[in-house]
Amino acid sequence: MSLATIIDCDPGHDDVMAILLGARTTDLRAITTVHGNASLEQTTRNARQTVEFAGLTHIPIAAGMAAPLVQAPSYAPEAHGVTGLDGPTLAPPTVPLVPQHAVDYLLAQSRQIADLTLVPVGPLTNIAAALKQDPGFAGRVRQMSIMGGSLTFGNRTPAAEFNIWADPDAAQVVFRSGVPIKLVGLNVTLQVVATPAIRAHIRSLPSTTARHVADILEFYSTQPGNSGAMHDPLAVAALIDPTILTFEPMHVTVETHGSVTRGMTLCDGRHLGPDFRALRHRVRGETPNAEVAVAVDAARFWELFLDVLATYP
Amino acid sequence: MKLTTIIDCDPGHDDVMAILLGGRTTDLRGITTVHGNASLAQTTRNARQVVEFAGLTHVPIAEGMPQPLVRVAQHAPYVHGESGLDGPTLAPPTVALHPSHAVDFLLEQSASLSELVLLPIGPLTNIAIALKRDPGFASRVKQISLMGGSLTFGNVTPAAEFNLWCDPEAAHVVFTSGIPITMIGLNVTHQVLATEPYRRRVRSIGSTTATHVADMLDFYSARETAYTGLAGGSMHDPLAVAALIDPTILTFEPLHVAVEIHGRDTAGMTLCDGRHLGPDFRALKPRTRGEAPNANVAVAVDAARFWELFLDVLATYP
Repeated sequence: MSLATIIDCDPGHDDVMAILLGARTTDLRAITTVHGNASLEQTTRNARQTVEFAGLTHIPIAAGMAAPLVQAPSYAPEAHGVTGLDGPTLAPPTVPLVPQHAVDYLLAQSRQIADLTLVPVGPLTNIAAALKQDPGFAGRVRQMSIMGGSLTFGNRTPAAEFNIWADPDAAQVVFRSGVPIKLVGLNVTLQVVATPAIRAHIRSLPSTTARHVADILEFYSTQPGNSGAMHDPLAVAALIDPTILTFEPMHVTVETHGSVTRGMTLCDGRHLGPDFRALRHRVRGETPNAEVAVAVDAARFWELFLDVLATYP
Repeated sequence: MKLTTIIDCDPGHDDVMAILLGGRTTDLRGITTVHGNASLAQTTRNARQVVEFAGLTHVPIAEGMPQPLVRVAQHAPYVHGESGLDGPTLAPPTVALHPSHAVDFLLEQSASLSELVLLPIGPLTNIAIALKRDPGFASRVKQISLMGGSLTFGNVTPAAEFNLWCDPEAAHVVFTSGIPITMIGLNVTHQVLATEPYRRRVRSIGSTTATHVADMLDFYSARETAYTGLAGGSMHDPLAVAALIDPTILTFEPLHVAVEIHGRDTAGMTLCDGRHLGPDFRALKPRTRGEAPNANVAVAVDAARFWELFLDVLATYP
């Protein structure tokens, strides 16, 4: 039986890949949208366009938080274009949104669905707001598989990855929530890149969806501010195929006060040794609150992703 | 021609190894002491004992700052013992200290020596005060090779290495000084361990100095193993000397390094902008978008080559 999931996202090119992967390999109950790669208005529009071209209009979409908990919103046009999904030519969306706010929708779904798994792949504002709005929410969520942060370097700053940097305060709420977390960070996602060979293969597939995905990946992989890394779908892959990612339990905190480290996911990986494998110190820190991805099999990911993509119209 | 150096230290077991290595392979003009592994009184006493047993009493020792710029002094008895140099039995020191405060000594020496290289291997308080006391100091120092920080994880906290964690504000002053910096962090020093076979080789040299060193390394390694589970004491500090004298031991990348002084979880972290190194520091080469490099950061080390050098040098001591 497949996992009941909700993807919380800010599409975003790689968010689209996460939706396509999650809709076939999990019991995807909803998509909630958040500010991030672009404004909430744009990310919501992009989510609607995605379910339309992929034939996923049965999946409800709820629009969420337009701004971070504390700071002002910052977008990523250098990676995703001004629409957040530049590249493909998509029809204006017609599918309606669900009438509730994403936070209300998450709270309602968490009551109706046993064993709900959240897949947050944007800034964590919706999830943090849900945790704060209803103290029982954490206890009703089975787990989260988050794309965000890094065990090593950031991208937006030397220390911080974009999703966490875009709302560090929300991320701190999430990492302190007690919900079991899988953290899929840049240290692995930057190793899974849509190479020209892979993009050519996708373009050779006959479906409409594959054509849009090819256009999306073409833009995404050739932006000066981007590396074509498959960040977000790896948070889905983490849930469905244990051979793709390797995890280590660690204590993770989010730096919210640093002058140069704000938005950093500080992972206590001291026991991993300087190259993350050679040495085995004793852990002296706090009890792990997350499973942190430390290695990835990129070829295995692409096998899975291309198999799934071939099932779309 | 040998480099003209001053070692600024908080002995400390591995500091002793740095003094011994620097005492032979560089033109060592002074040792300045600072709070750190133990109190200033202890680290100064330890430095005096070291120059006495090693026959280096011609190297002047000047005592420096007893506490950090802003924070309260913190020591590491769990690694170095209460004295800062537990293990060997050493005679009470008799060698006189230099009359100047370490900061004055550093300023004086920088004025009289050309091409002075500083080897700070403790908290950076003395160097920061010298930089703040005399705006001309930075330009009179040719280079700094420091042991501190990390490209990856810390030791005292997940983010921070002990020397930087003791005085982040001083480290910030040093890293923004404009002096060319070579940074030797935990990411390499934790790979150079005084394992049992190396400790046996040290002891088999048989000299007084080597016997004291063997006693130190036995104590230090037992503490390191108890504290971190590593197979021997990390040779942190002598690697900052080795960086200067043998280019085959360490590999460097020019990076921008910022010291976090405000972080709640990350205070004392050396935030290295290594984004262009890729997630495992070699596979990918994303474009660098950050600030201009201000340090050469050690990214790899040849531990066997270090030990060859160190054992060769140790054998020259009485």
